[in-house]
Amino acid sequence: MKANIILIGLGNPILGDDGVGWKVVEYLQQHSSLPTSIDIDFLALGGISLMERLIGYDQAILVDAIITGQHPIGSVLCFEVDELPNLAGGHLAAAHDTSLQVALQMGHSMDAKLPRRITIIAVEAQSVYDFSEDLTLPIKAAVPEAAKMVMTVMAESSNDPPDVAI
Amino acid sequence: MERITIDPITRLEGHGKIDIFLDAEGNVANSYFQIPELRGFERFCVGRQVEEVPILTNRICGVCPEAHHMAGAKAVDAVYHVDPPRTAKMLRELLYSAFYCTDRTTHFYALAGPDFIVGPDAPVAERNILGVIHKVGLEIGGKVIQMRKYGHATVEIIGGRKVHPCTSFPGGLTKGITKEQRKEIEDMGRWAVDFAQFSLKIFNDIVLGNKEYLDLILGDIYTHHTYYMGTVDENNKVNFYDGKVSVVDPDGKRLGKYAAHEYTDWIAEHVEPWTYLKFPYLKKVGWKGFVDGKDSGVYMATPLSRLNAADGMATPLAQAEYEKFYSALGGKPVHQRLAIHWARLIELQYAAERWVELATDPEITSDNFRTIPTEKPTEGVGIVEAPRGTLTHHYWTDERGVTTRVNLVVGTTNNYAPIQMSTNKAARSLIKKGVVVKEGLLNMIEMAFRAYDPCFGCATHTLPGQMPLEISIHDDQGNLVDVLKQNC
Repeated sequence: MKANIILIGLGNPILGDDGVGWKVVEYLQQHSSLPTSIDIDFLALGGISLMERLIGYDQAILVDAIITGQHPIGSVLCFEVDELPNLAGGHLAAAHDTSLQVALQMGHSMDAKLPRRITIIAVEAQSVYDFSEDLTLPIKAAVPEAAKMVMTVMAESSNDPPDVAI
Repeated sequence: MERITIDPITRLEGHGKIDIFLDAEGNVANSYFQIPELRGFERFCVGRQVEEVPILTNRICGVCPEAHHMAGAKAVDAVYHVDPPRTAKMLRELLYSAFYCTDRTTHFYALAGPDFIVGPDAPVAERNILGVIHKVGLEIGGKVIQMRKYGHATVEIIGGRKVHPCTSFPGGLTKGITKEQRKEIEDMGRWAVDFAQFSLKIFNDIVLGNKEYLDLILGDIYTHHTYYMGTVDENNKVNFYDGKVSVVDPDGKRLGKYAAHEYTDWIAEHVEPWTYLKFPYLKKVGWKGFVDGKDSGVYMATPLSRLNAADGMATPLAQAEYEKFYSALGGKPVHQRLAIHWARLIELQYAAERWVELATDPEITSDNFRTIPTEKPTEGVGIVEAPRGTLTHHYWTDERGVTTRVNLVVGTTNNYAPIQMSTNKAARSLIKKGVVVKEGLLNMIEMAFRAYDPCFGCATHTLPGQMPLEISIHDDQGNLVDVLKQNC
């Protein structure tokens, strides 16, 4: 049976704090028993490519770094994709194509089966321009909290809730 | 001096900004295209087993990881002094052709399309792929997604993963393909050939059929007379994966061709105090500043350069488009930068045809897909044509094959000097005597560099992930008098 939820760690795993999404999902794999109804992926993609990866699922949970400048470094934020401002206003959010929001509109316009709910768990990051496989300390310290947030979101919407005791 | 800043640049990978300085009369005194550097990648690669580097380098960038993987794989072959078997080379080129189709498609419909199909003066909210779909028709969106799906599927079959392939190895590949997979790849390639024809027809109808757009392409604003560079096969036809790098002068005369290991004889780098990124130039000609002409070592490495530096395309439909291109634009070489968009579509046609050629070669399913290296590793250079320009990877190792030094000259870096010249020229042409800065005007300045499809970034996708536009205007004393913001 095809999974109906996809959990994606987003970012570049060799670009310091940008890789926090991968680390959070790896942490979950190591410290919890995720239900089989969940597909897991690690992506360094955005825009149209990311939208394409979401096709066919009822729900998506994306874990990523975020730079808002409005929260202390290491803060864990949780919001729905509709709450992510489409500041690009038609310009690029990712790679050489478009923002995730525009890509999702594009998918909807073509009747692609896209998730009804897309939740983003984000960690306020700082160092995303230095090549490194390691997170800075405040971001590393936030990984368990972000992982717990992912589990909470999954528990809200799943009939087969994961073991949240991580 | 008045100062206008476009910061950061929209619709580009990575972050950058343009500072435009105006004089007291409101004319452009100068402009600077600045790129913050992503730090430490070459150092990050040192001390690793060299065969790991093509996997690492494909993480530099979320846009063309396949290009980094291929240049890296060829550099590692050279480090081990091993020549992969014909089947391995064909499989790599087949993967690469499929990748090219995906990349060219995305660029045309998501980046160039908003300017040329929706229009440079259209409201910013409409200048995106949705605007293109709205103007051309819903079926376009479906075809774009289908093309991307086929491209990704072929990369995955041969490369082991979508987008970030991992099967190229010293001396070849870790696996071949089955007869069933070959058939699947061939069918997808044939669809791509038709899609390329369809895309060229759209370009022909909407862009070439519009006098305003054609005048824009042929106009002086976006024209520079520089040297051109691109890889060619033994018949001097465009090739993305293998061959020698051909260089032609502004008159189209071939200056010479060089093999990968000879790149340091041809390319040197100029340093400017206002940017971290260096400006490559032709060593044999010399650095004379940001100027056009035969005496200036500034060169360009883009789809247009590849066409200018070659004698033609190696496949029939692409060759027909190549001939039409030069006939419509007044012969070789073409200097108008906006013609890069058309050249990119001709490359789409070639890549799709080459995809089918390779998929139907009788040896493509052979089990002979790797030559085991036997020589001691030392040093090697690999070159491929990345979508955005000639890409060079140079690795040095100790006798265990552990990297001691890594040098990369990435596609866009080649074009830094011409991009700087183009933005400067566009700014001078479009801002005169304090003309009020409007969205369309600034977008046309951006179009000057967007034609190069520059990519200074990596696969960072830190949210919110968009690139707001901020314009700071300073008076001739340097005082901030106004800040125009868009999407901030």
